[in-house]
Amino acid sequence: MTLFMAFVMQFSLAQEKTVSGTVTSAADGLPVPGASVIVKGTARGQQTDFDGKYSIKVNAGETLVFSFLSLRTTEVVVGSSNTINVALTEDVAALDEVIVVAYGTQTAKSIVGSVTSLSAETIEKQQVTTVTSAIQGTVSGVNVITSGGQPGENPTIRIRGIGSINASAEPLIVLDGVPFNGNINSISGDQIESMNVLKDASSTALYGSRAANGVILITTKKGALNSKPTLDISAVTGFAEPAVAMHETIGTNDFMRYTWEAARNSNLYVRNQSAADAAANASSSIIPTLGYNPYGNVAQPVDVNGNLVPGANLLWETDWKDAILRKAALRSEYSMSLSGGGADTRYFLSANYLNQEGTVKESDFERITTRLNLESSVNKWLTVGLNSSLSTSQQNYPEQSGSSYQSSIQWIYSMSSVYPLFRRDNNGGLVYDNFGNKIYDYGATTGQSVNGTRPLLGNENAAGSLYNYETLNKRTALTANGFAKLDFTDDLSFKSTVSYENYLYDGFDYAAHDVGYAASVGGRVSQSRNITTTLNFTNALNYDKTFGDHTIQATGIFETYQMKIDALGAQGTGFLPGVKVLNGSTTPESVSGYISEERLTSYLGRVGYNFQEKYYIEGSFRRDGSSRFAKESRWGNFYSVGGSWIASSESFLENSNWLDFLKFRASYGELGNNQGIGYFPYLQLFQTGWNELSNTGVLLGGVTDPNLSWETSALFNVGMDFTLFNNTIEGSVEYYNKESLDLIYSQPLPISTGNSSITTNVGSLSNKGVEVALLGRIIKGNNVSWSAGLNFAFTTNEITELTQESFINGTKRWEVGRSLYDFYIQEWAGVDPADGYGMWYKDVLDANGNPTGERETTKNYSQAGRYYQGSSLPDVTGGFNTDLKVGNFDFNMLFNFSLGAQVYDSSYAGLMDGFSNPGYQASKDIAGRWQQPGDVTDIPLLLNSQNDFNATSTRFLFDNDYLRMRAVTLGYTLPSNATKNLFIEKVRVYLRGDNLLTWSSHKGLDPEQSVSGTTDSRSSLMKTVSFGLNVKF
Amino acid sequence: MKKITKLGVLLFAGALTFTGCADRFLDEPAPTEAVSESVIFGSRTGVEAYISGIQRRARAQFTATDAGGVNSLYFARTIKGNDFIHATSWWSFDYANDNREPTYRRTVFTWQFPYYMINQTNTLINGVEASDLSEIDKAELSAQGKALRAFYYFQLAQEFQLTYAKDPDAPAPPIYTDLSLTGNPMSTLREMYKLIVDDLTFAVANLDNSRLGKSYVNAQVANGLLARVYLVMENWEGAELAAHNAYGGDVNAALAPNAYKDGFGDINNPEWIWGLPQSDDQSNYYYNAPSAFVDLVNPAYNNVFVNSNFSDTFSETDARNTFFNTGYSGFRSVGTSKFTFAFDSDIVVMRTPEMILMEAEAKFRQGDQLGAHELLYALQLNRDPQAVKSTNSGAALEEEILLERRKEMYGEFGVEWFDARRLQRGIQRTPNHRIVMDLAPNDKAFYLKIPQREIDANDNIDDSVNANR
Repeated sequence: MTLFMAFVMQFSLAQEKTVSGTVTSAADGLPVPGASVIVKGTARGQQTDFDGKYSIKVNAGETLVFSFLSLRTTEVVVGSSNTINVALTEDVAALDEVIVVAYGTQTAKSIVGSVTSLSAETIEKQQVTTVTSAIQGTVSGVNVITSGGQPGENPTIRIRGIGSINASAEPLIVLDGVPFNGNINSISGDQIESMNVLKDASSTALYGSRAANGVILITTKKGALNSKPTLDISAVTGFAEPAVAMHETIGTNDFMRYTWEAARNSNLYVRNQSAADAAANASSSIIPTLGYNPYGNVAQPVDVNGNLVPGANLLWETDWKDAILRKAALRSEYSMSLSGGGADTRYFLSANYLNQEGTVKESDFERITTRLNLESSVNKWLTVGLNSSLSTSQQNYPEQSGSSYQSSIQWIYSMSSVYPLFRRDNNGGLVYDNFGNKIYDYGATTGQSVNGTRPLLGNENAAGSLYNYETLNKRTALTANGFAKLDFTDDLSFKSTVSYENYLYDGFDYAAHDVGYAASVGGRVSQSRNITTTLNFTNALNYDKTFGDHTIQATGIFETYQMKIDALGAQGTGFLPGVKVLNGSTTPESVSGYISEERLTSYLGRVGYNFQEKYYIEGSFRRDGSSRFAKESRWGNFYSVGGSWIASSESFLENSNWLDFLKFRASYGELGNNQGIGYFPYLQLFQTGWNELSNTGVLLGGVTDPNLSWETSALFNVGMDFTLFNNTIEGSVEYYNKESLDLIYSQPLPISTGNSSITTNVGSLSNKGVEVALLGRIIKGNNVSWSAGLNFAFTTNEITELTQESFINGTKRWEVGRSLYDFYIQEWAGVDPADGYGMWYKDVLDANGNPTGERETTKNYSQAGRYYQGSSLPDVTGGFNTDLKVGNFDFNMLFNFSLGAQVYDSSYAGLMDGFSNPGYQASKDIAGRWQQPGDVTDIPLLLNSQNDFNATSTRFLFDNDYLRMRAVTLGYTLPSNATKNLFIEKVRVYLRGDNLLTWSSHKGLDPEQSVSGTTDSRSSLMKTVSFGLNVKF
Repeated sequence: MKKITKLGVLLFAGALTFTGCADRFLDEPAPTEAVSESVIFGSRTGVEAYISGIQRRARAQFTATDAGGVNSLYFARTIKGNDFIHATSWWSFDYANDNREPTYRRTVFTWQFPYYMINQTNTLINGVEASDLSEIDKAELSAQGKALRAFYYFQLAQEFQLTYAKDPDAPAPPIYTDLSLTGNPMSTLREMYKLIVDDLTFAVANLDNSRLGKSYVNAQVANGLLARVYLVMENWEGAELAAHNAYGGDVNAALAPNAYKDGFGDINNPEWIWGLPQSDDQSNYYYNAPSAFVDLVNPAYNNVFVNSNFSDTFSETDARNTFFNTGYSGFRSVGTSKFTFAFDSDIVVMRTPEMILMEAEAKFRQGDQLGAHELLYALQLNRDPQAVKSTNSGAALEEEILLERRKEMYGEFGVEWFDARRLQRGIQRTPNHRIVMDLAPNDKAFYLKIPQREIDANDNIDDSVNANR
């Protein structure tokens, strides 16, 4: 490098002069502030000031490129004059807008693949904690699912169907040109200039082995050259509550009557007791079975007829929902940014603070992010820049999904109101501690005959655990991304980029010393600190040249990528009250640590050619070597080819008065996937850590395929873009076919072999779809403007090859010709009116044991047949939005929808258990149960014996269509003459609602659950109403 | 200008030269938490680490609180009987004796866990035999592997078919002695028991009494296992010899009555032949059946009570009388302090009194009633200094031996269920149970259906395997 610097000092500059002028709009003759003026083929440039004026140093013979968002880019060759004034004409489709693509930028017109760009404006319309959420409903063909109401959790994103079974199906996220390994929640929305979703092979091929699931390119803001410093300050504050109401549950008196009925039925029908005995035994068994008596000293609160006895008054009736969920969660976000630039240097500096509370009490997410982006042209041929950010966040994360005892939603749906929030004595009186405070009841007061021991979720109290336990996720991310660019000639440049990312995950877990699961060991503290470092080094040589009608663009790149996770954990028990650090631990329980490393070496290149900016052709190639595979199978070649035709530039269409623009494009390519399979998936090894007291111990890991290699996706894309009627309607239509071959796939083995599966390259999968995006600019006035957009996509998923005919995977069966996500479960056949038992369908078999095609019902669940029943993948997803501006008011709405998917609601199944497990909460729907012979109902009898009535079947499979109003904003910008005197450029106030309305076909459940359509006791997303203020100086 | 272009090209070429080192660059990352086969089978220390790992896995969490380790196989058997009464929560479906359908967790776990361990022991045995270790080391280490393999096949044989004596040719789970990626067909009990007996005979012949710790297999453990197997196969002569060898023949030396009330949480109890040790940092936490369930004092699940009809059979002076009144009414009135729960409570697998009682029973079955009665009384007297020798003979003596087995080993490995199965006697619950039921001799409740997951992935087993199960 020193040698290099020494060399460049000798470089002699060509003769320079200063050109100045004014940029105006041809339509109205008004000056255009903020238009970009760039010396073609260089990074030198600036923006016009508020009067549309610019002044730039150039050499005679160089070309100045003038561009502005919606105006047609104009080029002027610098001649002898020192003044160049330009009037820009309206460019209907903003085709010369520069779009960030893989390893570079291209004009919108020249793109041959499928790229959807989200601007800062679109992102800012939504209140997103994780920026990738903004894709939902705004980009067609992308399925986004936000699971649960814990703030700071990231959505699941699937671009164009599900391209993998066992390897990762997550898209690659690239931040400012570098693959991002941190937590995406560390980036705040206000830092983002654009977020581009790359969907087809030609746009993603340069990411080769990691591109098969699509790529999201996030570009952060930069200042503008020659612009005055702009200070932008925003504040938003609001309140949130769950977006969707939960299933309704029953109260204590009903609960007691139903419990009696279930016990009576069980005695009568299962244990064959006489009716009198069955009823009497049920009455006497209730309190001993439940362990608690909310009626105090009324020993048998339910009589032999199943009614509450006179005088049975409730001492408590716990509303667990109220005890666990927030009524109003506060959200506030403040941000400040400073941007601007001189003649050679531009900068962007920002800071953002967010504090958001979650649905479940005590859950929250607090984040501070800062960013500094700096870029400077040192001289004519050298530009250097640095993008850096520091982000730190803390997430208080009480369990609110899954099946651990303290899991909030599971608790609300499991624990009946019979069980008290606070501890009670034998007579039902409250018990106080030495300080006179109530004590959370953990259902584990051993030795107390009543109100002591709970039969379910013993030794736990999910409401108490919100305060007695602590789960914190702290994250700190530092990124520094520096580059140096050398312009050898106008056509040839070299760019070297080094990026470093350091991501620290610091997990802290405290379980109380006095109550709950770690009380017997005096509390437990577990901490883990994982450091992920990523080092990426890219060297690129770019060539860009126009000869007459021909333009050639070529890029050659060499890249290395290194990622390392260094994990450390410690755990100890035995703490004094109030002590929550490991130094206070009496017994060290465990220490752990490991290092995982991944590397990638790549050679890549792209060549593009166009003729008269009318015919485009482009090819990309990448060769990747990955440390995830054995030496023999680690290198993979990936490529794409694509082309486009700007039909509207042809002479026969050029003068059309209704067609402004028409482009056809097509691409094909093959990409890879090596993510989500572990770091050494090809090795079968003996795992350490299985020590037997002081003897070190190892255990054989799962069986592996030593020849495991890339999973390959072949993508075909064809599309059409158009603009009609003088820029009134704009749209695009695309069709794609994505074939994933040699899937990295966990092939199930018979569990009797001692291995449940082997990961190998078998099978293939196909995703096909059509995507449509339309935008109408209905009113285009200066004072009033109104536009509306709609996008939607149809996607189908199909298994095209498997190693075995079919096999069952949870609630799905995988079979050639079916989707990965077709439910394959038992079909509910209703309730037998004769005895109230649930029934399912099974095949009628002929004499040889083959199905005849007819079906009959069975009451034996294990004999029930399984059948295909819809899919968890939606047929159509999409969104629509509208923007209205009237004077100083602005109004916009954004909706997203999903149609045709099914969801299996296991929470509801739990609530419809019918008291086979005593003490569990039940749905209000249980009222419609079978009660006596002849009752026609779909809800079986209540039975306090093991039964399969609520086992997996179509009984709990529901349509999951929904429409969600994701964002609605009403804003008002103060008249500029009112603020100008205060040196304030702009003041805008707005009222915003997020997720305010959700219409869904299945109530009681947030429709966004998981790709596989299964629930996991998740808390709901939140709806937020907030007020915001934005001031620009 | 041209020079600069050249230099740029040079730089780029330089970067490309790095290519030569690319493979070395990619070779560098290596697994940090795992070791290869050569490390394990390259030395005796390596093999011992593997055996340690296998033994640790025997008590580790597997799928759920009632499905993790040998102890949960055992406790499911315990709770199916008459001597304990279960309140609610985990194990309630085992208590109801209906937890046997192909998709149920009990069924899948009881199949998957032993097979997981069998695959580990197969790898151990085959790896040792192919290694360059000395012949002495090879014989001893693979004997440990074979004893463990036999132990797990013995569990499968008991859980997925009626007892051997009922029909030795009845279908039994598949047999594997090598790593396989395809499923084998069902075997027969006869084939499975042959493998079990061969493995244990090899183990007895090639092991002595030394070992790394009381959780490892030595000749004593191998003999104890063989005695249990012969008891099921009704090879009384073999059972007598193996049981005798397992405890050494001296009743009082083999017993330590004062340790009975120590809470069954310490593997160093001299009566314990084999156990699963735990420590604060190597605990299965609340998966620790029986103690996490049977202990009614230390906070855990605290939901298993004692049938008063059973506790009434213990005299006041019996060292094994650990019963107390809970203060609850009904089926929850009696509890036991036999098992104390703590995260570091060890888990019992095999004890000397079982060997003494097996020897006594084997003598009885072979007609030596006198010898049998003498051994039984020796044990009774050890437990209760005021014990009086009964006047029982014939069927009454048989019942006395079987009752003594329950009194000695209740809660440990499902002795009641084990005896009811092998002797084809059934289980009758007394009316004070939460769920009163009678299991007829050879009732279907005594064995499980074949898991659906196995049927779905095994080409050699289809749905018909569960017909009439």
